[in-house]
Amino acid sequence: MAAQRIGLRLSIGLSLLAAASSAVAYDGTKCKEPGACWEPKPGYPARVAGSKYDPKHDPKEVAKQELAHKAMDERNEKRWKHFQETGVWKYDVK
Amino acid sequence: MRLHMRGARGMLLVGGMLLHLTMTSSVASANEELIRLAKDERNWVMQTKDYTVQRFSKLDQIDTSNVKNLQPAWSFSTGVLHGHEGGPLVVNGIMYVHSAYPNNVYAIDLEHPEKIMWEYRPKQNPAARAVACCDLVNRGLAYGDGKLILSTLDGQLIAMDAKTGKVIWNVETADVSVGQTQTQAPFVVKDKVIIGSAGAELGVRGYVTAFNLKDGKKVWRAFATGPDKDILLDKDFNKQNPHYGRFGLGLKTWEGDAWKIGGGTNWGWYAYDPKLDLIYYGSGNPAPWNETMRPGDNKWTMTMWGRNPDTGLAKYGYQKTPHDEWDYAGINYMMLTDQVINGKMTPLVTHPDRNGIIYTLNRETGSLVAADKIDPSVNWTRKVDLKTGIAIRDPEFSTRMDHKARGICPSAMGYHNQGLDSYDPRSEIFFMGVNHICMDWEPFMLPYRAGQFFVGATLSMYPGPKGYLGEVKAYDVKTNSMKWEKAEKFSVWGGTMATAGNLVFYGTLDGWFKALDSGSGEELWKFKLPSGVIGHPITYEHNGKQYVAILYGVGGWPGVGLVFDLNDPTAGLGSVGAFKELAKYTKMGGGLMVFALPEGR
Repeated sequence: MAAQRIGLRLSIGLSLLAAASSAVAYDGTKCKEPGACWEPKPGYPARVAGSKYDPKHDPKEVAKQELAHKAMDERNEKRWKHFQETGVWKYDVK
Repeated sequence: MRLHMRGARGMLLVGGMLLHLTMTSSVASANEELIRLAKDERNWVMQTKDYTVQRFSKLDQIDTSNVKNLQPAWSFSTGVLHGHEGGPLVVNGIMYVHSAYPNNVYAIDLEHPEKIMWEYRPKQNPAARAVACCDLVNRGLAYGDGKLILSTLDGQLIAMDAKTGKVIWNVETADVSVGQTQTQAPFVVKDKVIIGSAGAELGVRGYVTAFNLKDGKKVWRAFATGPDKDILLDKDFNKQNPHYGRFGLGLKTWEGDAWKIGGGTNWGWYAYDPKLDLIYYGSGNPAPWNETMRPGDNKWTMTMWGRNPDTGLAKYGYQKTPHDEWDYAGINYMMLTDQVINGKMTPLVTHPDRNGIIYTLNRETGSLVAADKIDPSVNWTRKVDLKTGIAIRDPEFSTRMDHKARGICPSAMGYHNQGLDSYDPRSEIFFMGVNHICMDWEPFMLPYRAGQFFVGATLSMYPGPKGYLGEVKAYDVKTNSMKWEKAEKFSVWGGTMATAGNLVFYGTLDGWFKALDSGSGEELWKFKLPSGVIGHPITYEHNGKQYVAILYGVGGWPGVGLVFDLNDPTAGLGSVGAFKELAKYTKMGGGLMVFALPEGR
């Protein structure tokens, strides 16, 4: 009898827990401010830095795209200037 | 030929022309020329047919009564394999055909389709092939002011003389060493060429750039993430819908510097409203696919944009999929229609997204008008609340680390992908080529190295609950419902075209070119092409005769298993398993087929 009751109580407890966690699970509707409605999922960190999910991005790698844009823009500008000055388009800027 | 020009649309175009007459002459000519050429059914002057993207032809020589007699008139091989996306252009009696990598261009005089008038074969960096996520596709050419514009996989934007193919200017728009490529068709608006970006699967931060059509000078560039000054927000950005979010969110909705490799590339399509002077497009998915590595809403990835084409400044942005967890890259086409909504003629932009929702906004204000599921089996969201603009997520179908999510619909390939669809302005019905694919998804941690893939998820994809992979659907935004639906064995990847002959044309991955009755969806004609189709049909009139043309050459994401000979069902970002049957129906190809009615019919 006692064991059965404990089992029953346990299963009620678990189902309440499941209901509670789905009620707080990230559904996109609870916003900190307009346009910012992200929440961590139950059991997941609000910040990944320092957690086991830290992406540990290398700042040098992350900066490379910006450098690529700058270099392309400079070469394109040279091409355009050469075109303005000579009326001839030259792709090779070397 | 019956003319069915709707009053509202006619006024819109005339209004646009008047507006532009007040600007400088070269500005006026580029716009006026394209609007005039697009109205003439002898042309197909941009991939989207015209700025509305309705892709509806007033030609009706081929109709429901005689389409059964349609037969090949001539054909052309591009000499290139791999996926042939987009379609040919027809301008002033010349057809322009592009190919997959290495992106060759061929001009064909329609008086002599047996002969190549000129060809252009770009020299490009072959390393581009290794950083292309999903086959070596290209979505086609653009035309404006006597120039033909090509983007190459390695990122060149090339303007050539449309009569001779001689290069007038060429610039760099992407650097393959950091994973940037181009697959998008350029878009000409006023005196500018607009070109997007690709490479979110390699952590590329998305950007869109405008160059002068005349001399290739960069005019503006707008990024999808980061500081507001990089995203180019107008001072009144989202003023009419402040609940969408306004300023600072390109940084605030990311942790640390993650936005610098945050995706949001736009490789889809544009629309333009000359009266409102706004261009419309969507930014793509955030990087990496592993959601746990990028907490936050990740703005402004997955966003529908309305921007001024002269300054690039955004008047509004609506994020469809905050904190994407499924790679629902939000780049699909935007189509402009004017319809009576709640008793009032409303300027609309309609957009069937990868995430399975067909969004319709008021294209002037950005306000949400409708957000309907393409199919009831969409399960990542319960519904989109039109008042808040929020998609209410079902946590059961979320993705996260240390968890294999199952049965998510749609899959990463979306219930709709890059295909350009059509709309009949007489019936006010949209004809959508859709996918019916669901998936399992399990993320994993990975580092970012510039120039290398940055995905971080293993996927299995399979047919949706209906048991097949594709459909064509006729959608009515006014009733939020489908008028008819037709099943397809494979995804309808390449889009549709509608005509005043009450027909809807489309190609299939297994190589059929089909015509349906646009009123009922009944199949009236089909022809087996040499290879599968991932591009869209076009139609034009030449010497009084109506022709229908389509590129064939299977590939793209659904074709990667077949194209690269992959067998692991999770390879090809999970598409190999879903499309394992495709190789039993088609092989690679590359060319154009042109159809017409036989003489005397």
